[in-house]
Amino acid sequence: MNFFETLFPVLETKFNVEKDASAHWDHSVIAKASVLRDLIIFLRDDESSKMEMLLDVVGIDYLGFQDYEGPRFAVEYVFKSISHPGRRVRVKVFVSEQDLEVPTISDLYPIANWQEREVYDQYGILFKDHPDLRRILNHVEFEGHPLRKDYPAHRRQWLSTNDFLLPALEKRLESKGYKVVQHSKEVLPNEDEYLTGSIQE
Amino acid sequence: MKVIAPNGDKLNLMPLNVGPSHGATHGCLRYFCALDGESIVATVGEIGYLHRGFEKMAERGTWQQVVPYTDRLNYCSAMMNNIAYCRAVENMFQMELPERTKILRVIINELSRMADHCICVAAAAQDLGSTTGFFYLFDSREMMMVIWEKLTGARLTNSYSRIGGLYRDTYDGFEEDVLAVCKQAEKNLRDVHACFDRNRIFLDRTVGIGAMKPERAIQWGWTGPCLRATGVASDLRKDEPYYDYETYDWNVVTGTAGDVYDRLMVRLAEIEESIKIVRQALKRLTPGPIDIMDPRIRVPSHALAYQDIESLIGRFKSVYEGVRVPAGEYYCGSEAANGELGFTLVSDGSGKPWRVKVRPPCFTQFAAFQELVEGSMLTDSVATLSSINIIAGELDR
Repeated sequence: MNFFETLFPVLETKFNVEKDASAHWDHSVIAKASVLRDLIIFLRDDESSKMEMLLDVVGIDYLGFQDYEGPRFAVEYVFKSISHPGRRVRVKVFVSEQDLEVPTISDLYPIANWQEREVYDQYGILFKDHPDLRRILNHVEFEGHPLRKDYPAHRRQWLSTNDFLLPALEKRLESKGYKVVQHSKEVLPNEDEYLTGSIQE
Repeated sequence: MKVIAPNGDKLNLMPLNVGPSHGATHGCLRYFCALDGESIVATVGEIGYLHRGFEKMAERGTWQQVVPYTDRLNYCSAMMNNIAYCRAVENMFQMELPERTKILRVIINELSRMADHCICVAAAAQDLGSTTGFFYLFDSREMMMVIWEKLTGARLTNSYSRIGGLYRDTYDGFEEDVLAVCKQAEKNLRDVHACFDRNRIFLDRTVGIGAMKPERAIQWGWTGPCLRATGVASDLRKDEPYYDYETYDWNVVTGTAGDVYDRLMVRLAEIEESIKIVRQALKRLTPGPIDIMDPRIRVPSHALAYQDIESLIGRFKSVYEGVRVPAGEYYCGSEAANGELGFTLVSDGSGKPWRVKVRPPCFTQFAAFQELVEGSMLTDSVATLSSINIIAGELDR
């Protein structure tokens, strides 16, 4: 567990990070959103850390947290190293309710694409330049962000139809170099068909 | 849908929806493909059909009340999730568990791992049309289910681990039952290998299908058997050992090609390694306490509660207020059957968790699904999907 003691001063001078006082059992640093991408590129590529794997992106809402003053949200990135097994580090970025924006790292780690979508879905935090910021766990028609502390756990919503994935599919085709010249149409069931099913004689 | 391919060809692609209720999409998930004939040009996945708001529910109860919810994450190896969660909370208390608890947890962990791998390979065999392989594997799994039933009273969503101990001690004859399972599992494994190893149909459907490069798998955050199948010997039980895993004699299984065949075979080989660990653990199992003696963490037993007032108060406080986990934030990952199951816990020092975030291993594997199947046939996507072992309970939480 000595690697962090040598790594931290480097991070401190280079990226002006501070130690996270709430991490008593593992290693965590608090970074500013402006240096986040540079910090993560350094953590991923530098020989001293080699954090090749992004395990998780965690959103936290501190609304009403005991004796807490500061921005309402935080996004936490959990990394681990494969070249040096056993080395882990977390990076935390605070996000205020006013701007709600963090730069995306989905181009640095492909898995961040879905993990950031989940944080957006649950907390409404926007990831700047994310290629496909849609809901992931909740329904497309869902309103609000359920893991925020001010979202009542018992609130119910009427949700009707599946996510029409065709726009996402066309986006994927275009990212692979295909050019869509003729689109397929979405067949939306009318109100009666919700009861009888959309396949008719 | 008419498209122009990068090489200038004009293609007429057919959008095809698979799932959410489809025999091949185990659990409940959906993928939407653009097909050129029978081959997949592009695909996108949709998850969330089994989203029950685990993380929101966890914030509403006490720390102990999260334990039964964790069974519903990976319900094919329910008790492994309990143990991973309890381990994360126990690490925040920095407590030392009794020897017997540690050994029992190792046994339960490894039996769950065997059951989980059995289901994954059995379901994959079923999807490829081999009912024989399915039944050989389900035979030994059924014996494990009977042990779970005797141990916890439930077959599927059983919770056995508690913060600071276990639900209760084992029953008379537990050791014999476990040994019998190990023996039967070995026999069934021989039969399964006889079914598959030289089976032309099985090999044609799995070898070279849905392959993943090790560097790419690491970028995608793959862990567990899927990562090991690509050739990366990464296993938390060796890298960051807990519960004395380092003192057992066993090997990390790795594959070479990272295709469907390797993923399934790594799982079968891991069953053998788990049997080794279980046998060694059974030899070490000696009678002793299973709970730590601290009424602030582990609820005092009934026998004590009926004898003295402090234990009675301890029981009340523990149930009404929950254990007071020290304030702070912590990430703790454990090696579950599917990969690294991680819990990010935020505590404000009260009896209720402020935030419980699960890092489900199959989330990362399904995120990479499009890379695995694009360019291959639609039928191969079925084989690929069953080999990455998607458990919708932990995928969607």
